[in-house]
Amino acid sequence: MTPDVVVVDRLVKTYGVVRALAGVSLEIRRGEFIALLGPSGCGKTTLLRAVAGFVEPTSGEVRINGRSMHGVPPNLRPVNTVFQQFALFPHMTASENIAFGPRRQRLAIGEVASRVRDVLAMVGLEGLGGRYPRELSGGQQQRVALARAIVNRPEVLLLDEPLGALDLKLRKRMQVELKRLHQQLGMTFLFVTHDQEEALAMANRIAVMREGAIVQTGSGAEIYRNPMTRYVADFIGEANLIACRVDADGGVEIAPSGPRLPYRAPTTGARQVSLMVRPENVGLGGAAGTDDIILTATLKDKVFVGSTYRLYLVIADGQEIAAEPGCSSDAERLAPGEMITVHWRKDAARLLED
Amino acid sequence: MRITPANAAFLMLGPIAFFVLFFLGPFGLLIAESFLRPGGGATLANYTSVLSDAYYWRALFNTLLISLWVTVACLLLGYPLAYFIVFHVRWPWGRRLIYVLLMTPLFTSNIVRAFGWIVILGRRGIVNSSLLAVGLIDTPLDILYGKLSIIIGLAYILLPIMVLSICSVLQTVDRSLIEAARDLGARPSRAFLAVTFPLSLPGVTAGSIIVFALSVSAYVIPSILSGGRVMVTSILIFQQYVATFRPDIGATLSIVLLAVTLLLIGTYLFLFERRLRMVG
Repeated sequence: MTPDVVVVDRLVKTYGVVRALAGVSLEIRRGEFIALLGPSGCGKTTLLRAVAGFVEPTSGEVRINGRSMHGVPPNLRPVNTVFQQFALFPHMTASENIAFGPRRQRLAIGEVASRVRDVLAMVGLEGLGGRYPRELSGGQQQRVALARAIVNRPEVLLLDEPLGALDLKLRKRMQVELKRLHQQLGMTFLFVTHDQEEALAMANRIAVMREGAIVQTGSGAEIYRNPMTRYVADFIGEANLIACRVDADGGVEIAPSGPRLPYRAPTTGARQVSLMVRPENVGLGGAAGTDDIILTATLKDKVFVGSTYRLYLVIADGQEIAAEPGCSSDAERLAPGEMITVHWRKDAARLLED
Repeated sequence: MRITPANAAFLMLGPIAFFVLFFLGPFGLLIAESFLRPGGGATLANYTSVLSDAYYWRALFNTLLISLWVTVACLLLGYPLAYFIVFHVRWPWGRRLIYVLLMTPLFTSNIVRAFGWIVILGRRGIVNSSLLAVGLIDTPLDILYGKLSIIIGLAYILLPIMVLSICSVLQTVDRSLIEAARDLGARPSRAFLAVTFPLSLPGVTAGSIIVFALSVSAYVIPSILSGGRVMVTSILIFQQYVATFRPDIGATLSIVLLAVTLLLIGTYLFLFERRLRMVG
């Protein structure tokens, strides 16, 4: 058994002049829950479908358990897909839908029936096997789609934005359900989504994609704290991106003429960089530690967001940042138009190339 | 602009009047006629004489048999064509071209097309000439003026209806369902039989019923291509009005034909109703 259940090797897919995948490589470890995250058109669905067998690569290869999947049709691959709109067969009952895969495998009738029963129980739909898809709610249909895929015990479960069709509350509940199922089954999950909160909530590892390429992989925490590019920082969580200039010897100051900051940029790199700092790391008042960056700013607006206030501040030269200081009582006293001081720990921010 | 029930009723007056005047009215007259004696007065004699005469039953049997064959032929030829149009034609204009090619024959009259088939199927027609030339047969085949030529002629005319009926439903089949079947381990042929075909049944049923009904009531094609050798009910009915001058028998035959056809179609729908509802 290879340690990586799926290896994507320099996968390229072009549709005429459009490059859906620009040479993507990824190793998916056995048992992990990995999410492909990115906006529409970034190639995440194309990548998933290439693993499933619905997309024929222009070049490059997909290997599952070490075996090349070149020329192997979807029905012969040891993977199963949960489709975005569920794709339940409307002329079959839930049980018949779920039994479809096992019956293709020519299992004994008794074996098929017991597997179907078990998996219905696993997704919390006992007793509803006799219903037709149109007699089930959206959430129930979701579970049938899930059951239909996992009953075949695939090497990898592919999920193509499966929660997109559900309302918010149901979606949050299903996120927890999916995580629980993943732990219970020990199966490898490959999940596609454009919702960064969803990816952070469910996945062990996230691969952020942009325009047909993976720009960063890592756990949710890693990507959140150490985004490597401006794109990733902007995509995951909230981020302030302060435009800065790099001068000849690597010193950094806020663009175009703002105060110098005690960061160093490589002298051979770009002249324009962004300093990323998350709103929750921007605190009110002067410094607590010696390494902190202190700035004066004008309060533009103040919004109550439940757990704290979100402060919209204008710093040097008109750039705006947002702060969500931990202590809401300090923020309450402030009024728009006031000049205040804010600070952040030096290592809570990082320089990113654009 | 809201249409009140009063407005709706007013708008419906025209079509309803037309329907009553030109369909229900004549139909009622026909029913009445079937119960009339030649000299006047009500009677069941027409029905008893028609229903006890083997000759009329024979004609009815021919009609139904031919119509069944026509429906089967249209299905066997039409389904693959519809499938090809929906799933294998990439360009929209290709599809439109095929629709035009299918529909064009419908613009010529039935009589012209029937004579066309005489040319093709006759003893010295294209089919026989080719087969003789190639050496597959020694003497010309007697295709024309029999049940086979009627079936061919009717199937040719009614094929577009079957194709369009199936196409319209086949187009609505969600491609992701077929992908799901493939994903779950089905070969392409299995995916077709388990998913695509069952979901296309409403189109198959609708097309079959229309084709069957039109075959049963066809007059021109059977009368020209039968050469007097095959008797179908529509020809018989025509004869009652033109040759034997018994419009009452004609009316009776019409009602009997209608009743039998409705019975058959009703039975067919009843048997398949459960299946059809699933797909909706």
